[in-house]
Amino acid sequence: MNANTSKNRFDRRQLFRYAGGGAALASGAALAARWRGPTLEPFAVERADAAVIPTPPAGIDMYIGGTDGWISLPATPAIAPFHPDPLAPSPYSTYIFGFRNITDLTDTQRSLQKNHAQHNAPLFWVKEVDPAAANPRDFKVSITNLGLAQRPDLFDAHTLHWHGFRNVIPFFDGEPTGSVSVPAQSIFTYVYRPRDPGTYMYHCHVEDVEHVHMGMTGLVFVRPFQNDRWAYNDSTTAFDREYAMFLSEVWAEAHWADAHIQLPQWSDYHPDFSLLNGRVYPDTIAPNAPTGLDAAGLAAWNKAYLPAAVDANGDLLAPAGNPHLNRQPLSSLVNCNAGEKVLLRFANLGFKEASMTMAGIKMRVVGRDATPMRGMVGGVRNAGGADTSYETNTLPMGAGESYDAIFTAPAYVGPGAYDTYLLYNRNYKQDANLAPGGFGGQTTEVRVFPGTLPAQVLPNQ
Amino acid sequence: MTTEKPMHRISRKRVAAGVLGAVLLAGLATGAGRSVAQTPPTQRNGLVCTTGTGTTPTFNLETKTGYINLPDGNTAFMWGYNEVGKPFQHPGPVLCVNQGDTVTVNLHNNLAAPVSIMFPGQDSVTANGAPAQPQFDSAGKATSLTNTANASGGNVTYSFVAGNPGTYIYESGTDAQTQVRMGLFGALIVRPTQGALFAYNRPDSQFTSGEEFLVLLSEIDPYQHQAAEAGQPFDITTYHPRYWLINGRGFPDSVADNFASFLPSQPYGALAHIHPWDPTTHPQPGLARYINVGTEDYPMHPHGNNGSLIGRDGKPLEGPGGQDLSMEKFSFNIGPSQTWDVLFKWYDAEHYTAAGNPVPVTVPNVANQVFGMFYSGSPYLGTTGTLPPGASTLNQCGEFYIIAHNHALYQITSWGVNMTGPITYMRVDPPLPNNCPA
Repeated sequence: MNANTSKNRFDRRQLFRYAGGGAALASGAALAARWRGPTLEPFAVERADAAVIPTPPAGIDMYIGGTDGWISLPATPAIAPFHPDPLAPSPYSTYIFGFRNITDLTDTQRSLQKNHAQHNAPLFWVKEVDPAAANPRDFKVSITNLGLAQRPDLFDAHTLHWHGFRNVIPFFDGEPTGSVSVPAQSIFTYVYRPRDPGTYMYHCHVEDVEHVHMGMTGLVFVRPFQNDRWAYNDSTTAFDREYAMFLSEVWAEAHWADAHIQLPQWSDYHPDFSLLNGRVYPDTIAPNAPTGLDAAGLAAWNKAYLPAAVDANGDLLAPAGNPHLNRQPLSSLVNCNAGEKVLLRFANLGFKEASMTMAGIKMRVVGRDATPMRGMVGGVRNAGGADTSYETNTLPMGAGESYDAIFTAPAYVGPGAYDTYLLYNRNYKQDANLAPGGFGGQTTEVRVFPGTLPAQVLPNQ
Repeated sequence: MTTEKPMHRISRKRVAAGVLGAVLLAGLATGAGRSVAQTPPTQRNGLVCTTGTGTTPTFNLETKTGYINLPDGNTAFMWGYNEVGKPFQHPGPVLCVNQGDTVTVNLHNNLAAPVSIMFPGQDSVTANGAPAQPQFDSAGKATSLTNTANASGGNVTYSFVAGNPGTYIYESGTDAQTQVRMGLFGALIVRPTQGALFAYNRPDSQFTSGEEFLVLLSEIDPYQHQAAEAGQPFDITTYHPRYWLINGRGFPDSVADNFASFLPSQPYGALAHIHPWDPTTHPQPGLARYINVGTEDYPMHPHGNNGSLIGRDGKPLEGPGGQDLSMEKFSFNIGPSQTWDVLFKWYDAEHYTAAGNPVPVTVPNVANQVFGMFYSGSPYLGTTGTLPPGASTLNQCGEFYIIAHNHALYQITSWGVNMTGPITYMRVDPPLPNNCPA
């Protein structure tokens, strides 16, 4: 956070600058900071009208707003005074920073999304560029900074860091020290030409500890050029259905602290809640937010993110029967037919190692950190090298790692409409909401139907 | 809410930020050509080897106490292995030997407790000429993982034939929960017979001269160090790290030069200073040697490149027929006591240039961007651009700075000061010839 009080006008970056000037003058070093005067020259400020959200450039694929907001986690166990946060408006419990997909909203709706962040950040996906194309199409994401309604004293910038994107220039990497970040009411467009299929994650990299933990985190994946139904350019990674499984954590004290103008002691960190796709069990198996589309509309959907119905203000609609989840749109419920191959795309942006375990079904790890499980041949990764994929029931994954695992749904047993298997974090502290008895946290269900499900059209549907 | 401890004087980030800024700028702006504390600044960046002579290198080490600087302004009392007669340093010297060398390490102990050195990964280590053995008390209970040098003046001589090439730890095997935490550790590099620019005896493990880097990761509970300084007991059940370090330094000290004068006891920088990979002019990658001497997994995340993990714990990742089983990763989840050898490279995949191939977006007005302190003002490698009025930058010649950091993000803090700890940067200079200062 960067406080914008009259007594505290300097953020850290400015302090670095002034300290740098002093050091340079003191030492007379030739390598000192360059002076770029004259200093009194006026600069036009494009964001003069603070009420207007910038219009993104033509041809972008996605437009994301960074802001704050509130989400809903179970009221019990109460962690006084941090959880539920007494400042939280009903039906919410927890203050967050987050991203909001504002691509398809009107200007007015965009401006109304301040303080309406979602968690996790919108899932999106990109196709690997055709390596033979003369002019490969770039994928462009614009972000704007809608500001923090709960903390008007802060002037934090935001960025989009695509975690794991290879050979990107700092300008498009979103790490603010080596490049630039986006102040309130401004806009910046990131450009990617994806060459490496697999599962990635993205997050704001400003004040990394805080903005990541506060929820500006999401999952992104790259489909291989050869086939949309393969995980990699390898027919052995074919699948029938795919589910993003994004792992994040909530330390209640840190979220409370940001809402209450306090600073947490980060070395005391511990997750009170561990989230799958922005929710804790049993909310993880609640439906996705409504798409507003019928079957034909879904089949025709060709954008890089999931369709989402919104109300007149541009707000997401709550999943059916779950009004408290209107800022947590993504379900983790895995539905599949017996015999189908199901791809689970895991990405962990919590701070702790997770150990995602499936009881009764083996998973085959086909990729890790957006790299297929193949050895190299002559310095080339995807040239039929040794198959290093493996089967397991448990996937330990550290902070910032991703895994692609495919399982084959077992035969339907019955007698109900479906058989249920559990997918859970074997670090039991992280699938119980730290409450006595029962499951919570990073737990979800895999439901195997006897062939009665229609084909999957979009991820996590 | 957290309880502020009396020892914790500097915790609020803006207070500390000024200190950090001054330290960092002093490092970057004045590092070139300045005199240094311990060794002439012949090698500003990259792994600094301490070597012996011929095929029978001998290292004369002694234990010593000293202090290190931490990014929040605190200091920590440390124990360390040092070359005899040289000032205290942390971590211990990086011992570089060749595969097959007969290595001798003479240890003189100045501490008030018996100490030892373990060489995990080396076989048939001897102590004082006999096979090194775990030590037991009269009741048969283990007291040390290996032979010790007695307290307050004792000596012990270890010897071994350097085995498989790779990266190793050396560390105390005695009261390790105290002694290793207090700093009795260092890195051991065994170079292969294939040559000094190879990580292993494999042609595909070659790396670029001058682009070999140490990433030694550790942690500190300041109360343990305070207790040791006061000669008081420490209850290890209360152990709780508050600092996490890279090569014995926290950011921004981590990107200062090797032997930076303002870090007299922390000689090893962690800035990965490279040139862009190019198939003809710069065809080999760099090598990063990751070591975890802490108590839990550290997930290190280099931006902008998937490193290729080619070996762990001194073993190349290869199949029974020599197949290349290396793994590309963007997060290196290194376990305690593990070492990972990672080849890495960076190049601009899109070959953006201001003249011929500009970035396909409109660069916003400078007033609509927040500029980072390492940013050149231009998206293009080797180019500098306009900065906002009054702004300054640490950028020298349009070089790129690409971060690498621990992604257990609460660990990139220093007892509450954010964005410190195990953070370093890959500095990518424009291809030669360039305008960068020597």
